[in-house]
Amino acid sequence: MEQPFSLTSELRDKRLIITTSGYVNNVGGEAIAREFQRHFENGTKEVVLNLAQSKVVNSVGMSFLIEIIEQLEESKGKLVFTNLDPAVEKMLTIMGLFEFAGKAATIEDALKSFARQK
Amino acid sequence: MAKRKNGKGDQLSGHIAAFQGRLRKLSKAATLKDFAVQFAGVVKEVLPSTDVDLFYQAPGAGQWDLMARTGPGAGDRLPLLPRKHPTATSAVRETSNTLSMVQELVDDSTIGIVVRKPPGKKYSEVERLSLRLFVYLFDNAYHDLLSRRHEKDLIFSLNHRVLQLNSLIGTGIEVAKLDQESSPHQMALERAASLTNASKGVVRLQQGKSIKEQITFPSGVSIQRGAQNKISAKFTFGQNTYTFELFEKESRNGFVQFEETDQLLLDALARQVHASLENRYLHEQALEKQRIEQEMSVAASIQQRIIPKSLPKIPGYDIAGINIPSKSVGGDYYDCIPLRDGTFALIIADVAGKGMPAALLVSSLHAYLSAYLETSISLPDLAKRLNTVIGHASTADKFITAIIALVSPGKGEIESLNAGHNPAYLLRSDNSSQQLTAGGLPFGMLDTELPYESECVSVTQGDSLLLYTDGITEATNEKNELYEDCLSLKDFLQNHKTSRADEFISDLIAGIRRFTGSAPQSDDITALYLHRTQ
Repeated sequence: MEQPFSLTSELRDKRLIITTSGYVNNVGGEAIAREFQRHFENGTKEVVLNLAQSKVVNSVGMSFLIEIIEQLEESKGKLVFTNLDPAVEKMLTIMGLFEFAGKAATIEDALKSFARQK
Repeated sequence: MAKRKNGKGDQLSGHIAAFQGRLRKLSKAATLKDFAVQFAGVVKEVLPSTDVDLFYQAPGAGQWDLMARTGPGAGDRLPLLPRKHPTATSAVRETSNTLSMVQELVDDSTIGIVVRKPPGKKYSEVERLSLRLFVYLFDNAYHDLLSRRHEKDLIFSLNHRVLQLNSLIGTGIEVAKLDQESSPHQMALERAASLTNASKGVVRLQQGKSIKEQITFPSGVSIQRGAQNKISAKFTFGQNTYTFELFEKESRNGFVQFEETDQLLLDALARQVHASLENRYLHEQALEKQRIEQEMSVAASIQQRIIPKSLPKIPGYDIAGINIPSKSVGGDYYDCIPLRDGTFALIIADVAGKGMPAALLVSSLHAYLSAYLETSISLPDLAKRLNTVIGHASTADKFITAIIALVSPGKGEIESLNAGHNPAYLLRSDNSSQQLTAGGLPFGMLDTELPYESECVSVTQGDSLLLYTDGITEATNEKNELYEDCLSLKDFLQNHKTSRADEFISDLIAGIRRFTGSAPQSDDITALYLHRTQ
């Protein structure tokens, strides 16, 4: 069963990796957006969102993710989702998030995809 | 004069063209804040040497928020805004070096702008007119922003509805799967919370007032009784009541009330769980039925291998037997075993219970009889041993009723022992009858050394012996009447004159069939008939 929300983040070669655990709802989405914003203002434009431990996302949480994607889109950056639960992947697909964001099986795959784009 | 007018017009047109060019950039702003910052920047570009302060008042709000400021941020320039008459949509104010304006926007919000030149410099007429036009253009651009935002919200909302529908179908399929790791009610709770934007939820499984299981979402979250902002759905399956509750619908602006659609979604998901539980139950029932049928099939094959296909010929006697198993395999058994001393052991037995355990017990009885009958022990001692070994081989509720009759053809004697079975009928040639009852308790009924006794009877030409199981006497017709109560086996025996054992058996069965009619056969029908012909 889904745990209360928490997140960790790290920078690898100026790329932000946010790893979440628990329900991505209003609280979770806001926390992700806050963490993203903190790094975005310092110039980070490539972000990996690892949802391995988040099996449930609601539409309020998704609205925060969409804002992050839009901000990155405007600044020629990119968000890549990794380790998606099939149900979450389906939700994000239906909500159109993958039109502007990427997805990868693992964090390493996501980082490689950034490298390939350059 | 005209030239001067044209000069002002050109200047104004230039301002508007410059503004419109930047309007396209402005239209890409994602938030009102971005929009305001960019607008202030555009105004500063078009009206040089000007500091711009942009204020915004949300619909119905009594206070102004500073949205953007260009230039040094010293001092509060909010008091410089003009007061707008409640019925007017705009107002303008000008001091020596400042120009300010408020304008009601399309959604009843209000924009306030204060532009300021360095001390001593005044705004020209063109600049005043430009600012007014800028504010109108701001209104248009703001309208555009709202439209785009509305369109975006609409697409998001539409996608969310599609997601809800898709998830409803998907969840229905997933909860119906029988190999899910998590329980269907847990999965449904997670999906329901996600689709309705509930911040938390719980599913309780209750039996009466006692809670057998409680799952919260997210795990470990505290659920307060009596919470107001909630929706719920419940159903009962067997003795269990499943109650789903979702709490505190989220929005970007805090908690909001659940909508009717949320209740519909929760109801639909609860119904899917109910259907899934029913399907699981029916599936288990079907598997159990299949298992029983397989067991019955094996039991039937065991029983059919033990029941003799033909009976040995006994000099001076005619013998016939029959076993008609019922649908649910019972434990009836009969045999006629020729022994080395020239006697023949007639056996009929009925195991309490049906299915595989009964078939195995019959098989044991058959094996023990085959072994013991060739020894020189007496019939009562044989019965004692059988009681012990059957008692050890069976469970407490399993036992065997049986009759063992040793026929000595040469002597014209029958030694009989009845272990709790329906008494055998001995019909004399003068049509008198006798029941053979001497014996003891059924084999395996009590695990103690029980005394058994046998009885000897002589048989002469024309005498007959009928061994049978309760499948005959307790055969029932459509009115649920018993054969024995209506027709009597003894009467059939006395009234049926035939010297051929196989004819007797087939007539007996035909009579039972006539009696039972279309009523299903409820038990095995077994009979063994011996007739002395010489």
